[in-house]
Amino acid sequence: MKRLFALALMAAAAWPDVRLPKYTRQTLPNGIVLDVMPRQDVPLVSVRVLVRGGAESDPAGLAGLSSIAAQALRRGTTTRSAEQFSEELDSLGASFSAGTDMQATFVTSEFLAKDFDKGLALLVDAVTAPTFPEAEIKKLLAQSIDSAKAMKDNPSAAASVYFRSFFFGPGHPYGQVSDEISLGKITRQAVAEYHKRQYVGRNMIVIVAGDVEPAKAAAAVTKTLGGVPEGKAYSWKTATMPASAKTRIAIVDKPDATQTEIRVGMPGIERTHPDRVALWLVNTLFGGRFTSILNDELRVNSGLTYGASSGFERNHLPGRITISTFTATETTSKALDMAMDLLKRLAEKGITAEQLASAKTYIKGTYPSEQLETADQLADVIGEIELFDLNRGEVDDLFSRIDAVTVEKANAVAREHYGRPHVTILLLGNAAKFAESVKKYDPSPVTVPIAKPGLRVGE
Amino acid sequence: MRALGVALLCAAAALGIEPQKTVSVTLDNGMKLIVQEDHDIPNVAMYLFYKVGSRNERPGITGISHFFEHMMFNGAKKYGPKQFDIQMEKAGGRNNAYTSRDLTVYTNWFPNTALELMFDMEADRIRDLSFDPKMIESERGVVASERQTRTDNSNFGLLYEQLNATAYVAHPYNWPVVGWASDIKAWSMEDLKAHFKMGYAPNNCVVVIVGDVKTDEVLQAAKKFFEPIPRQEPPPAVRTVEPPQRGERRVTIVKQAQLPIQMVGYHVPDSNHADFVPLEVLGTLLTNGRSSRLYRRMVDTDQLAVSVSQFMGPSLDPGLWTFVVNPRAGVDTAASEKALFEEIEKVRAAEVPASELQKAKNLMLTGLYGDLKTIAGRANSLGLNEIYRGSYEKLYTSDAEINAVTAADVLRVAKQYLTPNNRTVATLIPEKRP
Repeated sequence: MKRLFALALMAAAAWPDVRLPKYTRQTLPNGIVLDVMPRQDVPLVSVRVLVRGGAESDPAGLAGLSSIAAQALRRGTTTRSAEQFSEELDSLGASFSAGTDMQATFVTSEFLAKDFDKGLALLVDAVTAPTFPEAEIKKLLAQSIDSAKAMKDNPSAAASVYFRSFFFGPGHPYGQVSDEISLGKITRQAVAEYHKRQYVGRNMIVIVAGDVEPAKAAAAVTKTLGGVPEGKAYSWKTATMPASAKTRIAIVDKPDATQTEIRVGMPGIERTHPDRVALWLVNTLFGGRFTSILNDELRVNSGLTYGASSGFERNHLPGRITISTFTATETTSKALDMAMDLLKRLAEKGITAEQLASAKTYIKGTYPSEQLETADQLADVIGEIELFDLNRGEVDDLFSRIDAVTVEKANAVAREHYGRPHVTILLLGNAAKFAESVKKYDPSPVTVPIAKPGLRVGE
Repeated sequence: MRALGVALLCAAAALGIEPQKTVSVTLDNGMKLIVQEDHDIPNVAMYLFYKVGSRNERPGITGISHFFEHMMFNGAKKYGPKQFDIQMEKAGGRNNAYTSRDLTVYTNWFPNTALELMFDMEADRIRDLSFDPKMIESERGVVASERQTRTDNSNFGLLYEQLNATAYVAHPYNWPVVGWASDIKAWSMEDLKAHFKMGYAPNNCVVVIVGDVKTDEVLQAAKKFFEPIPRQEPPPAVRTVEPPQRGERRVTIVKQAQLPIQMVGYHVPDSNHADFVPLEVLGTLLTNGRSSRLYRRMVDTDQLAVSVSQFMGPSLDPGLWTFVVNPRAGVDTAASEKALFEEIEKVRAAEVPASELQKAKNLMLTGLYGDLKTIAGRANSLGLNEIYRGSYEKLYTSDAEINAVTAADVLRVAKQYLTPNNRTVATLIPEKRP
């Protein structure tokens, strides 16, 4: 494949604005927010239940609890065993997924429009009436612990988890990582309590999108989820971004690796930050597309890697801006030096008007097929609007917000966010072969053998 | 332009979705175009399928088809180095590409305002790709890095490579699409030029365009930009036929790893064969969904595996149906293998119940709709049906083909193909640390 990441000089006025299609929004008496968007492309309906909290709501030391609770929903309810649930779900040809991100649990099911009532009933059963049978929880935890261990066989995924732990540290809600150690402490009781506390009306958002008649869908959801207790609304965590007085390096030593995974991070922004569109434009140019500065230098011009990119998190609390790449063990410091130089150059020299115009057209051109084409994508957009208390202007005003970003503004954002005096670096690979060569950035890096249990740095 | 076949497609109604007008045209130079209008979003998916892949290679030049997937972005006559990506992204588009054993596919997604630019750039690189030695060396490094990532540093990739190298002793499906590391280092300029001339003939290409376009405008652009490109000799037929396997084969990799991996491959026919859809139904009921036989037995009840899956990618020549088991920590691979074979023996011994058959069909049907949700998904599916099943129209009768499969069909294909003598077992065993 040409690239790993499948992530807009014309007159801007030539572009028609995009608009979020119409949808209905109502709040049920128990606090559940219900959004319904009809789409008739294919005879499928997608229903998702969002529960506020997600990974940031995991209690201290129990990272992964929200995720285990989500995965356990289908493993036995008051009316169905885990087996019966799967049998009924598969018989409809339906899909079902449940997981978490930093701020929410997502339980999503998709089924044929003709099976709407049956599909909805299964989803509602999982969300509202799980019994968390002891044997099933044990099985799920054992499987999850194995998967956490197996992640070490996937250097890219493992590097990203170690990096999160290293960057935020254990005191920050985003610095807690789910691994064999935290999973080993989770009990059935903790799962049941989490569900009781978190899966309540005032924390829930329900989004129905697809081939449905809106009034009928709303009535069905009201009928089946109207009885969910109102509960106590979740209070979002607060935390300050860890400040660092120096550049820090962590090395995860994998002696059999023939290449090194590289992550370079710095403080970024929260989802609702006023600079989010400007930062999106700058990041597109720096590392968000194939012709970006990073990919052009590290891949196209030097052949050091198959891909180099940068991204920024869009979470409730401020997240990271992260450069990600990998290279052969022998060229570890060369690739890292190059990434660091490019970062410095971006902050110092900034971008040109021509580059900015290209990024604007790129985002406008790619946005519709990435966010507005399918019922699932639209449901994602609506979910974000709800979770972060945004409004439909997030879509409807996007193009005018893009147009409003000037070169001066973009460069101010580049200086502020990419021009940090210190960064946090994680390298996963054969340490013996490159550790000396990176000491110029941090003379005393932290080293963790990959065989050490867990996916954490510095604990 | 000579319109060989312009079909107004109404068969779509069979799939329960609005019929979409699909037009198919063959240009004078033999290039085939399939166009489907969809005005939901102001975007277009343009997929170019070249019928050249690793099956058209030979020892010494393995991976060269995949290398062109990269070189096609490194400059031609009118649009020089980097210009394809620069111009495309500047116009609001993005692209990717993939190579398989049979095909090299270029996938473009862009706003409708960039349609003419895309035709111009695609025509330029088919006709006048540049062979700059410096660029070739740099791209060789990128591909070597890709091989390291996807194969040498991937337990799955490494084992899958060994599985195919063991299951095929004669046919080109023996070697990996990315190529052997030594071949990647060794392709010569002559190899590259010869391979390009062979694969990138307009008459060896199917172009599918789905999205916010006017069919007439697309056909005019095709006539202007593509039709003048001269026809060439397409790749010679792949002559080697894999001889029947007459006994189980085994291959083992020992390396540092957290968990073992097992793969079992069975030789099966090409994807246009009548047995292909019954095999897909069988695969679905074995592994798709948590009520599937292998999930229930191996992951849930016996807790032998973290996951179990199977795939049988489309193939022009007889393919390898591959089962993948990720055993749990501490599980003896002999135990997980035994459970897998026991379940396979059950579907060879008796017909599956009607309800189980219907369940598999429903899962396949919703999966089919999933492929049709996006203009990109439709462009890919139309092209693959055209190439692998003889006509893009087959996409819209897929549901009928699935529905026609009987329990007797499933039993018959299970008996015929899932035999011990027809299988190759590949196992990755974590190395014991001293």
